[in-house]
Amino acid sequence: MKRFRELVGVATAGLTARKVRTLLIMLGPILGVSAIVAAIGINESSKGYLKAKLQQLGTDLIVVNASAGLGFGQDPVIEASAVSRVGRLPDVTTVTGTRQLSDIVTVPFAGAEDYYRAFPVPVIATGPELPTTLDVPMVSGRFLNAFDERSGARVAVIGRDLADEYGYLAGEPRTIELNGLEYGVVGVLDWVLLEPSMDSAVFLTFSAAVADWSLDEPDPSRLYVRAPTNTALVAKEIPIVVSLGGPDGASASVPTDLLDAQSQVDESLNNLTKMMGGLALIVGGVGIANVMSISVIQRSSEIGIRRALGHSRGTIAVQFLFEALVVGVFGGIFGALVGAGVVWGVASQRGYTMVLSVAGLAGWALVSVGVAVVAGLYPSSKAARLEPLETLRLG
Amino acid sequence: MAKSMAGSGLSPEHESVGDVLLALEGVSRIYGTEVEVRALDDVSLDIRAGEFLSIVGPSGSGKSTMLGLLGVLDLPTEGAIRIRGTDVTLLPDAERSRLRGEAIGFVFQQFHLIPHLTALGNVETALLYRGLTRRQRRSQALVALEQVGLGSRYDHRPVQMSGGEQQRVAIARAISTDPGVVLADEPTGALDSENAENVLQIFADLQSPERAVCIVTHDLHVADSAMRKISMLDGKIVADEVLRGGVVVGSGS
Repeated sequence: MKRFRELVGVATAGLTARKVRTLLIMLGPILGVSAIVAAIGINESSKGYLKAKLQQLGTDLIVVNASAGLGFGQDPVIEASAVSRVGRLPDVTTVTGTRQLSDIVTVPFAGAEDYYRAFPVPVIATGPELPTTLDVPMVSGRFLNAFDERSGARVAVIGRDLADEYGYLAGEPRTIELNGLEYGVVGVLDWVLLEPSMDSAVFLTFSAAVADWSLDEPDPSRLYVRAPTNTALVAKEIPIVVSLGGPDGASASVPTDLLDAQSQVDESLNNLTKMMGGLALIVGGVGIANVMSISVIQRSSEIGIRRALGHSRGTIAVQFLFEALVVGVFGGIFGALVGAGVVWGVASQRGYTMVLSVAGLAGWALVSVGVAVVAGLYPSSKAARLEPLETLRLG
Repeated sequence: MAKSMAGSGLSPEHESVGDVLLALEGVSRIYGTEVEVRALDDVSLDIRAGEFLSIVGPSGSGKSTMLGLLGVLDLPTEGAIRIRGTDVTLLPDAERSRLRGEAIGFVFQQFHLIPHLTALGNVETALLYRGLTRRQRRSQALVALEQVGLGSRYDHRPVQMSGGEQQRVAIARAISTDPGVVLADEPTGALDSENAENVLQIFADLQSPERAVCIVTHDLHVADSAMRKISMLDGKIVADEVLRGGVVVGSGS
């Protein structure tokens, strides 16, 4: 233990005597470790973010889009009877259809028409189940209900962004104009993560859409289906159930699968960064070996005198190995800190929750120590082999 | 001829001379493989406690080679080097290094202080790896620095000191371990006469009944300040004389 402390003392004295050089050779491990730690940390944090998003969206939501069948010249739709067939599938809990209506100019009040004509607001006909199916709460008021549906009342629900834009206050009796027809706003729907376009949309009932907007049948063009069990299987069944040999086709997908795929893409990018970090570590190791070899030549007189003072070859070798070790330890620690700082910066900028494993940090710092020690092997054995007589120049 | 007279069987008649601390026995050192250079040729020498000896000779006489061998910094091609009777040529490096550090203190012409360490740090370097605590090392090093009159300059680095002061730090380093033998290689060679005189005085003071001081030099004034003078030529000892208060016991002529 005493001997260990003595070695640490000698090594740190040797390193602090040449501070700039020591910092320069530390740069290699610092860059390598920080690159790897940052790559892993950012990857984990973004994965954590995606996972949280997946959790929020639920992985059991299926989106079904009507696809063109034989009805040319018409927007493809899914017939109401097909919708009820989907709803009767064993694993399906809720189904809601939507249909986007075209050519409607929506304004908060009559005078604003010129301004808002340039910014069309999506108008969506849907059923009362939409918030349940999408698992989105109301910010205020209520959603469309069965009474609205039956009566064909001119009521609407608006998305949260649209409510902000119109300066809509919660509970305020307010109307909006759709091509001059006034609709009463009964509620504001919260942000829909899966369909950001809904945040600035107006929702009406299908009966209102048929009555006011020349919709022939209350047939949706898109379905949102919640199937908590056998989600993938249900997604496969739906197109068959919709078409049943008829002309209407549909394609079903689970949108969270896309997010999953996105995280896979991130993974391969991060592997590249990790490899580059590894390369930086190796180059850093070569740098340590290089600079320390020169240092051994420059310090040959010191080595000679230490040998004359009774330090054995082994002690000299260990002394130089210790210097490499100290470089590796501090390079690793600083590298891990810099990497963690980068992860923190990126995470806070992108709104991720920072995910960083302390064991991982320590592990990569240890790798840096290992690289430094391996790099120090050659110079330290060179130092040990120096003949004291050659460096001391007697007589 | 010189060999037989300067051999291990020699017993100097000086009364203050004690046990053999360091001995060369039939030592030869040959450099080179294709062209052999016999730098030292079958030399034997005993260094006893209480002796103050000088080794003189012109360049190429083999005195530096002999110093390297006496200090166990080099190994002989033939023969044995004994530290208190132990043949160190047969020992592994770690053991040999330990014995060297314990038995021998070195002083060099070029001082060879470690530039990034203070005077105290340089002296402490000799005390490392001996199982001493930091406190023990410091106090032993300070005692040695005080012995050479530099106790107050302990925190100065070599560049902040004159040549004479640096050499005194080197002497402090050599004696800090209380070695049996102090080997000095032209210790006054890089100093002006005043500093040289000062350093020689320190060497004279260092000599004690338990310790031997051995100076290699080509300066005859320095050589004559010793008790025993060994003259070398062509890798052999040609004279071994007792200079003060004794009898000339050997002469190579």
